[in-house]
Amino acid sequence: MEAIDIIKSNYIRELLTNGVREDARGPNDFRGVSIKPGIIEHAEGSAQVDLGATKVLAGVKLVMGEPMADTPDQGTISMAAELLPLASAEYETGPPSPQSIELARVVDRGIRAGNCVDLADLLVAEGKAWSVFVDLYILNYAGNLFDASELAVMSALMNTKVPKYEDDKVVREERIKDIKLDNIVTSATFAKIGDHVLLDMNRNEENAADARLTVATDGSAVRAMQKGLSGGISVKEIDDMVGIALAKHGELKNLMEKATKRSL
Amino acid sequence: MASLANKPDLIVNGKRIDGRDFDELRPIKIEAGMLKNADGSAYVEWGNNKILAGVYGPKEVFPRHMADPAKAIIKCRYTMAPFSSLAEHGRTGPNRRAIEISKVTKEVFENVVMLNEFPNSEIDIFIEVLQGDGGTRAAGITAASVALANAGIYMRDLVYAVSAGRIEDKIVLDFNMIEDNYSEADMPIAVAPRNNEILLLQMDGGLTREQLKQAIGMVLEAGKKISAMQKEALNENYRKVAEQYGQK
Amino acid sequence: MREIVVPGEAVADRPVRMHNTYIDGGKTYAATVGLFDREHNEIIPLEGGWVPHIEDVVVGIVKTSKNSVYEIDLSYFKRSILIASKFERHPLKVGEAIEASIKDIEDRKTIILYRERVLNGGTMMEVKASKVPRIIGKNSTMVNQISELTGASITVGRNGIVWLRGGNVELAAEAILKIENEAHIKGLTERIRMMLEDRTRKGE
Repeated sequence: MEAIDIIKSNYIRELLTNGVREDARGPNDFRGVSIKPGIIEHAEGSAQVDLGATKVLAGVKLVMGEPMADTPDQGTISMAAELLPLASAEYETGPPSPQSIELARVVDRGIRAGNCVDLADLLVAEGKAWSVFVDLYILNYAGNLFDASELAVMSALMNTKVPKYEDDKVVREERIKDIKLDNIVTSATFAKIGDHVLLDMNRNEENAADARLTVATDGSAVRAMQKGLSGGISVKEIDDMVGIALAKHGELKNLMEKATKRSL
Repeated sequence: MASLANKPDLIVNGKRIDGRDFDELRPIKIEAGMLKNADGSAYVEWGNNKILAGVYGPKEVFPRHMADPAKAIIKCRYTMAPFSSLAEHGRTGPNRRAIEISKVTKEVFENVVMLNEFPNSEIDIFIEVLQGDGGTRAAGITAASVALANAGIYMRDLVYAVSAGRIEDKIVLDFNMIEDNYSEADMPIAVAPRNNEILLLQMDGGLTREQLKQAIGMVLEAGKKISAMQKEALNENYRKVAEQYGQK
Repeated sequence: MREIVVPGEAVADRPVRMHNTYIDGGKTYAATVGLFDREHNEIIPLEGGWVPHIEDVVVGIVKTSKNSVYEIDLSYFKRSILIASKFERHPLKVGEAIEASIKDIEDRKTIILYRERVLNGGTMMEVKASKVPRIIGKNSTMVNQISELTGASITVGRNGIVWLRGGNVELAAEAILKIENEAHIKGLTERIRMMLEDRTRKGE
């Protein structure tokens, strides 16, 4: 960590002793959310999500492929995340970092475990099924990539249209229907700083954090969780975070439904 | 997750596919210090899992610019051997899953290792899954804890890990591979037993808030047994010598 | 009464300043695998590498020599440097074995040695650094005993390197290995004395 980050971390901790956050939010408040679906017309689905100053773009491409051998009745979905060098001075070019792999896998787990995409509906004929490729582009890092990414991927999927497939050819110019979705998942990520638990940490809060917990839910059940950083979390704290994550789901879901003009 | 078409009955007459109760661990065997070159090592057989953990260090930091004058840095590499799975031949070295597991495992040990005791140094943790049958990251963390202790590296606690999850409407401990493939939720957890702080928690599937609490409770209960086995493994080497002299 | 403790095990329900422990929430816990002596409030580590401290006596080999600055190989990952005194009459030669003490550890990174003494001839063995205190014994009783009964000159480095010369070196080395293996069993000094006496009587 740079010296300036250490000073900022100490400042964050100092503020918290008086129960105050740097940007004056309540402990369980998200930063402002903006969702812009469909901004990449060439992609079958896309969405840019701003969460405070964090900016994430998700793009969805559908490719005609084959089902996996052990799931012959389904299409597939896969996810990758790029921490672009333009998003932060600390991001470098090169092979995927453990951080970007973790991000993509955690977001993927929420969407997958929540059965959001109806994979069986992606089968077009025996041995022919759509493969859904979701790519996350991190454009600006200002803390909490997990929730911004979960929102971007979910919104991009809600924005996704399936192209026409005719005579063994994909007709990209013609999109025939919405991709079939069965569930909507959102996540809430918490930072533990000393004894304080904060929802949706900004960059300085993330630098100061001892532990992190991401809870992805569909409003009734927890679908995926991931703890990060070296600090410990108590069982009671986990339960509290799960409670908040479940309660926050509706608010985020509404924002996505409004923006994408699609509801489930 | 495997295709649901081939899903076997995971619970029959209140017992699991391998005859266990819902809150029953698989048989666990832990051995410490069998690798002479490593500064610390441990071998764990956990059901059909066979896992080797080795620790090197504190040693010189590589590359040097990563050295921290205030504390040690930890590197962790979890890998599955290409022959470890009953399924296909795997690839050599860490895949994306292994890289993620290595990352969260490293974070677990950054919590308990007293890093500021070893400034300007590096501690390497290697976890090699020789045979995998579900729950390898938990078994690997349990083994690595013993290997670190066996290396004499200062630690605040001896971490254990185990998973719990859901099969149908039952909360179940320590999935084997088949259960792992077809379960409704899986949640590996690593715990510092001294204060029951959760150091690793991953989950996917579906659990209500109540089910989640129940699953964590089951992990903490089973943890007492795992902790005792870890301590036993560390004592074992010394006891063998002591017994030659009729001492305990 | 001695018992084996592992990291995180409580050794006192109050704060006690003790090596190889840490204090948290008003209690004292073991930080390493070791033998806990409740009477003397002491944990003797059973595992672990050497952590250098000022005034530690070490044994090493001269690796490089340049303008009276020597780099010494202590079989340890941190660099160690010996600066010759102004009065140095016989410069050290590369490859020579020496005994020296730690004067300082600069930036917690480089070990600075002084009070060097050349160890001529003889042989060296490596032992676990965690067992060195037992090989030396309280007030050097153990190492003196081995020296007396085998006739070997012995220097035990805290870094786990032992230098031996003269007398029955093989027997002395055997005794040291026995200590390394049985460090945690009580009555060690007595057992080593009996072994050495027994073996020297047989004319070995």
